[in-house]
Amino acid sequence: MPETQTILRKPGSATDPLWYKDAIIYEVAVKSFFDSNNDGIGDFAGLMQKLDYLQDLGVTCLWLLPFFPSPLRDDGYDISDYMSVHPSYGTLDDFQRFLDGAHDRGLQVMIELVINHTSDQHPWFQRARHAPPGSPERNYYVWSDTDQKYKDARIIFTDTEKSNWTWDPVAQTYYWHRFFSHQPDLNYDNPEVLEKVLEVMRYWLDMGVDALRIDAIPYLVERDGTNCENLPETHAVIKSVRTAIDERYAGRMVLAEANQWPTDVRPYFGDGDECHMAFHFPLMPRIYMALRQEDRLPITDIMAQTPEIPDNCQWGLFLRNHDELTLEMVSDDERDYMYLAYSADPRMRINIGIRRRLAPLLDNNRRRIELLNSILFSFPGTPILYYGDEIGMGDNIYLGDRNGVRTPMQWTADRNAGFSRANPAKLYSPVIMDPVWGYEAINVEAQQNDPSSLLNWMRNMVALRKLFQVFGRGTLHFLDPSNRKILAYLRKYQEATILCVANLSRFAQPVQLDLAAMEGMTPVEMLGYVEFPAITRQPYSLTLGPYGFLWLELQPALGMAEPAMDGREEQAFYVESETDWQSILSGDGVRRLEALMPGYLQAQRWFGGKSKRISHARVADSLLFNQNRSALVWVSVEYSEGEPETWLVSLAISFGEAANAIRQSCPQQILATAGTATRSGVLHEGMIGGSAPAALLDIIADGRQLRTRSGNLHGLPGSLLPTLRGAEPLTPRLGGAEQSNTSAIFGDRLILKLFRRQQQGSNPDVEIGRFLTETARFANIPPFGGSIEARRADEEPSTIALLQGLVPNEGDGWEWSLDELDRYFESTASVRSPATSAAFALDFAPWEAREHAGVYLEAAATLGRRTGEMHLALTSAKDPDFAPCVPGAHDLELMRDQLMNHASLAFDALKGSISRLPDDTIEAAGLALSRRGALIGKFRSLASLQDAGRWIRIHGDYHLGQVLRSRGDFVILDFEGEPARPLAERRARQSPLKDVAGMLRSFSYAAYVALTRYTSRRPEDFSQLESWARLWEVSASGEFLRAYREIVDGSPIVPASREGFDSLLAIYMLDKALYELVYELNNRPAWIRIPLHGILSLPL
Amino acid sequence: MAEIEFTEETKQQVERIGSADIVVGVAGSMAPEDLRLRAERIIEDLGSGVPPLRFVFAWPGSGAEPVASLLDRPAHASLTVFPFTPPAHPGSEFWAPVSANQRAILALAASLSARACIVIGSDLGALNAHAIQLFAYAILDRQCGLAMPVYPAGKYDGLVNIGILSPLSRALYGRRIRYPLAFDFATSGAMSARLVRGEPSANHHGNPLLWPVTLAATQSPQDPVGQVHIDVRHQISTEGLELSAVLGQVVGSLFQDLETFAPQWQRIRGSQLAPVWGNAPAEERDGDPIDTRSMLDSFLLGSKNLDEVWRLVLPPNTMLELRRLTRVAPEQFRIADELWAGIVYDFALAYHLRTISRVHLLGALTPLYLGWAASYAREVATLTRAALEQRQEQFARAWEEKKPYLLSRWRWPDRFNP
Repeated sequence: MPETQTILRKPGSATDPLWYKDAIIYEVAVKSFFDSNNDGIGDFAGLMQKLDYLQDLGVTCLWLLPFFPSPLRDDGYDISDYMSVHPSYGTLDDFQRFLDGAHDRGLQVMIELVINHTSDQHPWFQRARHAPPGSPERNYYVWSDTDQKYKDARIIFTDTEKSNWTWDPVAQTYYWHRFFSHQPDLNYDNPEVLEKVLEVMRYWLDMGVDALRIDAIPYLVERDGTNCENLPETHAVIKSVRTAIDERYAGRMVLAEANQWPTDVRPYFGDGDECHMAFHFPLMPRIYMALRQEDRLPITDIMAQTPEIPDNCQWGLFLRNHDELTLEMVSDDERDYMYLAYSADPRMRINIGIRRRLAPLLDNNRRRIELLNSILFSFPGTPILYYGDEIGMGDNIYLGDRNGVRTPMQWTADRNAGFSRANPAKLYSPVIMDPVWGYEAINVEAQQNDPSSLLNWMRNMVALRKLFQVFGRGTLHFLDPSNRKILAYLRKYQEATILCVANLSRFAQPVQLDLAAMEGMTPVEMLGYVEFPAITRQPYSLTLGPYGFLWLELQPALGMAEPAMDGREEQAFYVESETDWQSILSGDGVRRLEALMPGYLQAQRWFGGKSKRISHARVADSLLFNQNRSALVWVSVEYSEGEPETWLVSLAISFGEAANAIRQSCPQQILATAGTATRSGVLHEGMIGGSAPAALLDIIADGRQLRTRSGNLHGLPGSLLPTLRGAEPLTPRLGGAEQSNTSAIFGDRLILKLFRRQQQGSNPDVEIGRFLTETARFANIPPFGGSIEARRADEEPSTIALLQGLVPNEGDGWEWSLDELDRYFESTASVRSPATSAAFALDFAPWEAREHAGVYLEAAATLGRRTGEMHLALTSAKDPDFAPCVPGAHDLELMRDQLMNHASLAFDALKGSISRLPDDTIEAAGLALSRRGALIGKFRSLASLQDAGRWIRIHGDYHLGQVLRSRGDFVILDFEGEPARPLAERRARQSPLKDVAGMLRSFSYAAYVALTRYTSRRPEDFSQLESWARLWEVSASGEFLRAYREIVDGSPIVPASREGFDSLLAIYMLDKALYELVYELNNRPAWIRIPLHGILSLPL
Repeated sequence: MAEIEFTEETKQQVERIGSADIVVGVAGSMAPEDLRLRAERIIEDLGSGVPPLRFVFAWPGSGAEPVASLLDRPAHASLTVFPFTPPAHPGSEFWAPVSANQRAILALAASLSARACIVIGSDLGALNAHAIQLFAYAILDRQCGLAMPVYPAGKYDGLVNIGILSPLSRALYGRRIRYPLAFDFATSGAMSARLVRGEPSANHHGNPLLWPVTLAATQSPQDPVGQVHIDVRHQISTEGLELSAVLGQVVGSLFQDLETFAPQWQRIRGSQLAPVWGNAPAEERDGDPIDTRSMLDSFLLGSKNLDEVWRLVLPPNTMLELRRLTRVAPEQFRIADELWAGIVYDFALAYHLRTISRVHLLGALTPLYLGWAASYAREVATLTRAALEQRQEQFARAWEEKKPYLLSRWRWPDRFNP
């Protein structure tokens, strides 16, 4: 953005643009906090009087529930005037005074932007219903002559609403509402509506509001044939909102309310250009479940499903809020369990959730309250406290709706809990008065005077959390101790490493943690600054009391403290310009760089050696390019165990504003400070900014050769590159979150992949890509554009980068399949169960499958054809690297032994874990174990196969996520294989049926994952839809196989006989399912039913 | 740039001058003519470099002074002298005006993009070629971000600094600096801007005093900090001020920074040597031994009158030890290093928690400080210069070793402690 615009942007009250990452948010309803004028309703003047209390508590941001004029039929979420204050709460001047008062105390303020709907009393709606159809006024809302439109959208308030359409007698037509019928949805297909909403937003931001919580964000736009949630058009609206904010304002934040699975919430962050924050809804019930079950798995499981988010984004975490403890994002069984565990009285339940406060949910057990808060404060995200929970306030389940958790704040033991001096009958809600939870027992004043009170504990914890940015900004890594009652995790940010250990059990628990990677560090307990014994390579033993928790800051051992500090000082490189590499890549600089490298590598997403302890890092080679503005450094990494590896690090130096931007947006990509006494800069990831990717592209395009310190770098253009590149200049940008490489995207034409792990020999992605494009002319892959190789004497060349044409697509095959399955379940939900087959694939899809999933089955057949064509294309009589070979008896015996060994280990693991499996999978697990002998015996037949086909170069890691849906066809991606495996293994020839098995297992996963997602919204449909899921899987598999066979029929690459084909395929499928079994046992026990189902489906 | 807002006249002057290599600023009022003569002498003594360094000498002046003639007749092309109108500052007593002028000089240096800024006390004791050369050497040749002075001092000089400021600053911020609050110091160009810019945003309520070491260690920890021997004995004007007022301003200000920079000082472990350049004076006078009886009397009186306040601040073990001290004979009176460090840490915490009014709190520290000063003065009376240095180092290390106590109390300020 030009500097002049930057200056014009109106700042918020916080100086750090990422302030929300370090914030402690306090949710409060104005009406509930303090009544200054004794009318029985809290108001802004009252809230103002309590700002000192909030400042003292240590919270940094106040989230105000809706305070706008409203008929109050949905606690203020039915707004009738966006630009004013409800008279019960005060005036706009009162609000401005409150806002200024909060800012004076260093508190930010977040308000509600309820833009999905208005009240039916809003002038816009009143005007719309009286306006003629089609008029601009009418178009502010969504109207229809029929109530059958958008019929795939679910009803959210099932307790009160029967339809999302309500007849309006004035307009003589139906209007659309996702929530209550008195809350008509705004029509975002009308650009004028968005403009009005932006006006509202600017009005409050101009007043100085720091943050906006966008209510009901998934439902902004409706489209027929969809469930009207999370639509691309909705994201377009959000992007417009964000753009409007960024154009005029600085330091503001938008928080998304999207009660969805983390993967569905992820798009609301966009590429960091939609919402800054979003609630993590599914985590909250699982914290309670883990506590009650005394088992960490519910928490680790949901966190494993939580995707990475852009660096400038943040999750919002909470234990309780003004709504019910929502159970929408849990399975049927989990919901039943939660009801049994936390809502003994049916009155405690509402909608799909439990309407209780934190302390009553935990039976008022102080240790449990502290434990859950410790998790809240130490998990990655910004904690949100609900007013009153800091003193352990109770609830009143006899009040209607969710009003039981919205009672007046309990300030003192005086009348009305010190909330108001009005006649008690005049209060907006009765105060809580029972002997345990009543205001005489629980109030702020009493707890302020009690040094051991929950309030003082919370204040200390809040202050402690604020001292460590690592809690708000650091990475999360779970440890995996055998005692599952212990939740242990590491948080890392820059130089800080925190170990958090929590005992979820009501009894004391021992635990041994594998901290060998931190050998030599000293854990210092953070609350009392108590030093613990130093970490060694042996398991680290701790004992935690009932519901105990420990926060341990891992520091260099005391004896190392002084050198460490001096070392850090020396880590700054003294460089004078962006091209001054002398003091970094030579002499002492190299030693400094090597000392810094382990810490830097461990923080990089692409670094695959995180689980191992780095004993030494050495700069093996380096190259300057891009007119010396960029460097590539080959770093040889030695581990305490295992073989050394070489990793490619790209570096650049930035000063001034560029350096500041990197410090703010991606601090983990800074390796060190660099500069002079007068010029501050940073040494950082070199691919940031775009000039390095552009220079790499030029190296390829020009076929340039450059000298590294100990070898050469060669640009190798592909024959199609001029066509792929085009004549227009291309602006590069970095790709999204990748696990093992770094990609730069050039406009809509090219993608450059920088390979981080360096191994001698051609990278299969390059080798196969080049072969398929230039020799086999196989069209269904991204076209090969070129590559860069490093060559050194006495070494095989290694691949630095791969350039490919960018393929227009509608998303990867996995997401596309899940979307299709969602529609499939919608259409089959009301149909009786189909007849299913025990086979793992049907030769012909039955009519029921064709009727409901016809489009997908055609696509599966297309995919089968493309897979067969790919395999045929991967054989060449001329190129020795692609020549097929006939596996000999020895090869098959070797393979048999390996597979049987894997299988034995998998069954052992299953047997050892059976007592910890979910109840509904134990029977299947037992059945699989009872078939152990027969199943392992299947592998024995390998050695006796008369015809195992030819072994060829294959994809090697083939599943739905490796294909793109593109213009009704598929494009196959990523021939790199598993980067963690040696290149020789990844380049080895294998039976093409291994790829086929991989894709068939992927269909199985897609069916089950989609079923789980779908029935999380409609749990009552699970058993009905399970048989439909099975039908989908076998039909899709059958179509895929049928088409595949048609293509490869007659080719020697597969066994000639049908029996031989099926037999070999079944072996690969069993091996794949057993591999999945071990993976799920270690990571996601709740998902184990998928591989078990796959194993049991195979014919014996 | 700096948050300090200068008058239009000063801004115009800065614009006219453009830029400078070294800005030398005097942090207080003085005779302009005296400054010009000294400045010219310094330029002559330093000789001409190639290219010559462009010096700007600035002082807080006013329009009433005959400055126009000064500006119009520079004796050297590389020399500019000019007065600036200092911005208003909140405090008017003791050290606050000095800090206000120091900040203004740093802001001027930043505006002029100076490579080095040298701040000089208004008595001009350090305005000589030797001191300027040493400061410039530390900043320009040794690449220090900050250079602090080491003044010659007798055994009994600067006891507030020895007893509280220096060891507390060292333990907190990890820099072994003798005088963390000084009349004279120098900064690099980048550090000048950072000290001025970093301060108001980090320090929400505004600290009247400027602690260069604190800011350097927290805002720019990668920049080296050095020290230079400056042979000046500044006379600090505390006439008419109670000791408690002095402690209130100086120690209170240091305590205030504890709050502001808590995330930073809690991560600093141990301390770094800050190299010292230049030569110490051949002989340093220790002055006459001080009479410690009145100090001890103040301590005993305080223990009677302030017992209730002390009990709010200090844990039982410390109180027990203090009570034991009230019963010992004067010649046996000795406050152990770790006891004294713990007392100051507890007062810092009480200041943070606002256990009682901050003014009263620092007032209650005064008799304790006098008790410590008496104990220290008696102990060092017979020490040689070398033994004294060793003793001071031991004393400072005790503060570092006791720092975890402050951390634990800060993080979990439960009064139920030993």
